Amino acid sequence: MNVLLCSINTFKRLYDISAVEVGQHFYWQMGDFQVHAQVLITSWVVIAILLGSTILVVRNPQTIPNFGQNFFEYVLEFIRDVSKTQIGEEYGPWVPFIGTLFLFIFVSNWSGALLPWKIIQLPHGELAAPTNDINTTVALALLTSVAYFYAGISKKGLAYFGKYIQPTPILLPINILEDFTKPLSLSFRLFGNILADELVVVVLVSLVPLVVPIPVMFLGLFTSGIQALIFATLAAAYIGESMEGHH
Amino acid sequence: MKNITDPFPCLGYWPSAGSFGFNTDILATNPINLSIVIGVLIFFGKGVLSDLLDNRKQRILRTIRNSEELREGAIEQLEKAQARLKKVETEADRFRVNGYSEIEREKLNLINSIYTTLEQLENYKNETIHFEQQRAINQVRQRVLQQALQGALGTLNSCLNNELHFRTIAANIGMFGAMKEKNN
Repeated sequence: MNVLLCSINTFKRLYDISAVEVGQHFYWQMGDFQVHAQVLITSWVVIAILLGSTILVVRNPQTIPNFGQNFFEYVLEFIRDVSKTQIGEEYGPWVPFIGTLFLFIFVSNWSGALLPWKIIQLPHGELAAPTNDINTTVALALLTSVAYFYAGISKKGLAYFGKYIQPTPILLPINILEDFTKPLSLSFRLFGNILADELVVVVLVSLVPLVVPIPVMFLGLFTSGIQALIFATLAAAYIGESMEGHH
Repeated sequence: MKNITDPFPCLGYWPSAGSFGFNTDILATNPINLSIVIGVLIFFGKGVLSDLLDNRKQRILRTIRNSEELREGAIEQLEKAQARLKKVETEADRFRVNGYSEIEREKLNLINSIYTTLEQLENYKNETIHFEQQRAINQVRQRVLQQALQGALGTLNSCLNNELHFRTIAANIGMFGAMKEKNN
């Protein structure tokens, strides 16, 4: 018994040192729902960063853009480019959606990698990138699903469902399955990548606090950007796919 | 040391659990690495980003300048075209006025010439009528003279006897002689 207690104590002390809080959440009760408050808080911060910077920069637009406006226009051009390549000619109405996805995910990921969230301590859990939580990514992926259904149905009407038996009716189950795997893969890819990035950094920091995590952090930055781009590109590709005419 | 009987830490009891606050553990919160990362990012990213944005700005400026030039050229052409249009319009006006006056003059000339021709024709007509009248009068006169002469001849034939005949011849001879003496 004494040995057991001792070992438990050792475990406990190790736990204290590592203090990696995966799966721990700071809950808020909203009606019947328990929400992950840390995700909400970081999301608000991300939204504030996005809205604030946009309002600040675009408040006084110039014909010849200054630095900030130039940068934002460049970002917008980039997003338009992505949507145009993936969706095709009728990309116009979808630029806001794709742009929102890309910017929110990108800023979320980078905020998780760059902002010292851990300075602020919560009663439970810890602050991290909003995309670190599967609820966020699932929400984004489901929005994408709704978006591509809407795009297809508004473009082709009920004929949209004809794509399920293209090219042969044998593929019907697979085509239906695709509608479930698309949001699943989208959400899990983003969630897994970001969680893994942050975990690797946290574990490395807890083992060797200085210098060693830095390459991994850069890798994390790179991956975060890529993941945001992939999410936005795939969402655009799905929308484009559901809007294109079957040949 | 806390006494834990449950080997698996349950929800609600966590070492770091507590209230809101600031974590001052400089190693756990990782600000050093973060600042290094941010510093490197700014150091390398700034150059790339400013290059990118400079290029974009230059492109925008070039485009604006080009369109300005195009616009100026277009305005110049428009002005030229307008000037030409104005010139042509004034010329057209002049031609129109000239043409009108020419036409008026032609009309007057034509009217005058026709008037004179008409007058001549009137004169001809009057003369012709006069001649016809004259001819008719002459014809009537001739006829009357002929009848008178015939009447005179008839009278002469009916009432001429020898004595009267001699007397007439003698009278005529006397008259001829008188005429001869007068002529000599």
